[in-house]
Amino acid sequence: MAAVPVAACRLLRLRAAGAEGHWRRLRGAGLPRAFLQPPSADADATQRREVAHFTFQPDPEPLEYGQTQKMNLFQAVTSALDNSLAKDPTAVIFGEDVAFGGVFRCTVGLRDKYGKDRVFNTPLCEQGIVGFGIGIAVTGATAIAEIQFADYIFPAFDQIVNEAAKYRYRSGDLFNCGSLTIRSPWGCVGHGALYHSQSPEAFFAHCPGIKVVVPRSPFQAKGLLLSCIEDKNPCIFFEPKILYRAAVEQVPIEPYNIPLSQAEVIQEGSDVTLVAWGTQVHVIREVASMAQEKLGVSCEVIDLRTILPWDVDTVCKSVVKTGRLLVSHEAPLTGGFASEISSTVQIRKLRLKKGN
Amino acid sequence: MLAAAVSRMLSDITPKPATSRVLVASCDYSNDATFEIKKCDLYRLEDGPPVTAMLTREDGLKYYRMMQTIRRMELKADQLYKQKFIRGFCHLCDGQEACYVGLEAGINPSDHIITSYRAHGFCYTRGLSVRSILAELTGRRSGCAKGKGGSMHMYTKNFYGGNGIVGAQVPLGAGIALACKYKENKEVCLTIYGDGAANQGQISEAYNMAAVWNLPCIFICENNRYGMGTSVERAAASTEYYKRGNFLPGLKVDGMDVLCVREATKFAADYCRSGKGPILMELQTYRYHGHSMSDPGVSYRTREEIQNVRSKSDPIMLLRDKMVNNKLASVEELKGIDVEVRQSIDEAAQFATTDPEPSLEDLGQHIYSSNPPFEIRGVNQCIKFKSVS
Repeated sequence: MAAVPVAACRLLRLRAAGAEGHWRRLRGAGLPRAFLQPPSADADATQRREVAHFTFQPDPEPLEYGQTQKMNLFQAVTSALDNSLAKDPTAVIFGEDVAFGGVFRCTVGLRDKYGKDRVFNTPLCEQGIVGFGIGIAVTGATAIAEIQFADYIFPAFDQIVNEAAKYRYRSGDLFNCGSLTIRSPWGCVGHGALYHSQSPEAFFAHCPGIKVVVPRSPFQAKGLLLSCIEDKNPCIFFEPKILYRAAVEQVPIEPYNIPLSQAEVIQEGSDVTLVAWGTQVHVIREVASMAQEKLGVSCEVIDLRTILPWDVDTVCKSVVKTGRLLVSHEAPLTGGFASEISSTVQIRKLRLKKGN
Repeated sequence: MLAAAVSRMLSDITPKPATSRVLVASCDYSNDATFEIKKCDLYRLEDGPPVTAMLTREDGLKYYRMMQTIRRMELKADQLYKQKFIRGFCHLCDGQEACYVGLEAGINPSDHIITSYRAHGFCYTRGLSVRSILAELTGRRSGCAKGKGGSMHMYTKNFYGGNGIVGAQVPLGAGIALACKYKENKEVCLTIYGDGAANQGQISEAYNMAAVWNLPCIFICENNRYGMGTSVERAAASTEYYKRGNFLPGLKVDGMDVLCVREATKFAADYCRSGKGPILMELQTYRYHGHSMSDPGVSYRTREEIQNVRSKSDPIMLLRDKMVNNKLASVEELKGIDVEVRQSIDEAAQFATTDPEPSLEDLGQHIYSSNPPFEIRGVNQCIKFKSVS
């Protein structure tokens, strides 16, 4: 099924030793147009609806975490939640329609397994859900709240930004709601339009005190979600909804953790650094292989994974190596998280130049 | 108003074929009949709407035609969705026709309505043609929102949508009511939300503002017993939605009987217009389809329950029986209306599937209201659209 990610790109050209001649060569090759035509562009593309596509690229089977099973993204999430509820007797899952399994089947079977006082529905009230979750977390229990679509998270924005994020600080570390995790389906899905497609990570990136995480695949999702749940800070975990069924790979059955605030270099390269998160990582991987094939450009692909706090060092180290940075995300361009990344990288580069 | 409504509906109908059916002389029918309707439960009200309602033959035929049009339009939308002419999300309202027609019958066209996403019925009663509704569903340029809104975002004069985020439309409705009060035009605003949305916090905020400022706002809870797949008992501490306004007076209305809805709406509208402040109405109704086209609608309720409502309380059937039993119309006449409605819907669907989609140039427009136009990019970085208004 073709996806319609709206990609906002910031392309930075940073001077690096020896890179300039290469850059001119790339420009001469008609870079923008060649870069962006999908290999399957039809002659009648102008008559059909314009769609971009992505192909989910599974990672190789992980061998270090024990036995694996083929899972898609929602099954990986269910597995992570199952592990959490089994390990932590204070863990509870709540949200709209989670009891029967959730509208995306992320909580299937959990109520039967753990009981209706640990997996329960809430009424239709996002602000209430998050506020209630903060309350649970403050007493020390583990609260895993679901907001049915990221588009609906805005009534809860005040609770997240004003209550959850600042609890530890304002109480002088006497209290905290670190055991709160908010999970929410995120990103475009093709037919979602205004209110089932949004990527609001940038709004939350502007708020110290919380962590924001976006996985790209089932294996990443389970490890990152378990890390979010165990992390002692309130976390928001955005799950790319288009990948719920489309992404299938081998995922360990036992619990495992993927560290937060660590970006992953998926593919090493020397000419340009490409940074993305969520679904867009798969678009970028395809772009990297196209660039290699058609232009001889070697791309370093980085999955940011954690938006806040983000792994500045990995990205900057990569840009020092390649001299160029391209960040791509689904959310709107202005004020999108790419602007934060690009400005930080530029500040760091300037400092490096000055020998700081 | 009546003539306008009738002529609007007549314009939707194709010309009768040469072999037209024989019109029975109207002297065989009564002009009107009076019916007993269910008494509304009252909250903080001394008197309620009347327990009898008078229905003229003309009105009866009008309501019948409108309800049948809404019913067939929704079923056609179901069909078009399954044929993939309609994409995205589609929330159908068949079963709830009496609410739409009854509410419209109780107010004036100059009054205002705002509701959530289950809005196709209101689009029709507020004056949009079936063509423009179906064309909007199929995303074509003749749609009421120029093909850019879809099922959840349809608007017309004095009808403010069509809103995706449930509960968010209620404070808006209070604001519209404030404007009516400010302009001193004796208009009211019907602010409609569902049983699921009734648990949203901002609705309580709207109740408070409306009461404090004495706004001519009629809050209407369309209780179809299920918020998506959650039954009202599981979501609400109090399922007496008409009492949930606390300090607001409330009425519980049988939403399957168009006359009951009409009388209650008239009562509520008079209440607001006379400056007594906001009032709350709960319409007890039922939807046959699931929450949306992706919901089969039978995992949280039994087929027997749906069948039961269909056979005992179907709004169209109830009106038909009332009219036939009281000689306001004959079975054949109503069947004739059914045929005409079916034809007009088929025609509208034909139009909706053949009208062209909005041009690419239209896609970026109306983001801001501003001069000069600015460029925005679309899905493909190289293709830019102009935003103008």
